[in-house]
Amino acid sequence: MLIIDDEDDIREVAALSLESVAGWDVVTASSGAQGLARAIEHKPDAILLDVMMPGMDGPTTVQELRKNPATAKIPVLLLTAKVQSSDQRRFADLGVEAVLFKPFDPLTLSDQIAGVLGWS
Amino acid sequence: MPTKPAAQSERKTAPELTAAIDLLWTRFQPEIRKRVDLLDLAVAASAAGRLTAEERETAHGAAHKLAGTLGIFDLDRGTVLAREFELITEREDKFDSTAAGRMASIAAELRNLIENRK
Repeated sequence: MLIIDDEDDIREVAALSLESVAGWDVVTASSGAQGLARAIEHKPDAILLDVMMPGMDGPTTVQELRKNPATAKIPVLLLTAKVQSSDQRRFADLGVEAVLFKPFDPLTLSDQIAGVLGWS
Repeated sequence: MPTKPAAQSERKTAPELTAAIDLLWTRFQPEIRKRVDLLDLAVAASAAGRLTAEERETAHGAAHKLAGTLGIFDLDRGTVLAREFELITEREDKFDSTAAGRMASIAAELRNLIENRK
């Protein structure tokens, strides 16, 4: 699992959660550009991607991931604190697997992700 | 059906995870305090009638981050308050006395929550 989020606290709690609760291997990145490089390098099973980041934001990062054959098919779950319905419609148009909301529950985040992705 | 990634890391029990999150809280609390400082700056500038668009946007961004973060650390009330501050500061640079008072009240309650998290 690759987690891309510019906020250190969110990124570290999410990583701790997925490693500790589900036992997944987690790689992290603090920007969209770094995330693209990590995605190519590590070929994660899925990407948990923050929406609002300085520089390359989440939606732009999704577009860049989709352009590259090496990363085009990696499932992406957006992570956002935005709750407005207009934002949700915009995110749905990106073709991501799901939109998850901050704050998340560290105890159940991995179940939420596994459920969305149909991981048995 | 795709399968879940193989478990590689050492799993923790719920109490162990909570203890690990508490350690992260201790580490990140100074940064979280700084976000509330930005809310206070906007409140003070607004009260003095000199809130700039940049200060308002900075406070709005800090409130957005607090809204996303505090609930993760079991401060659900903090997320609700920060989201309210975020909505108040979404567009306007000038606030009536009711909104300004509410912003001050939210910032104070957020600081209290953050300082007193067990």
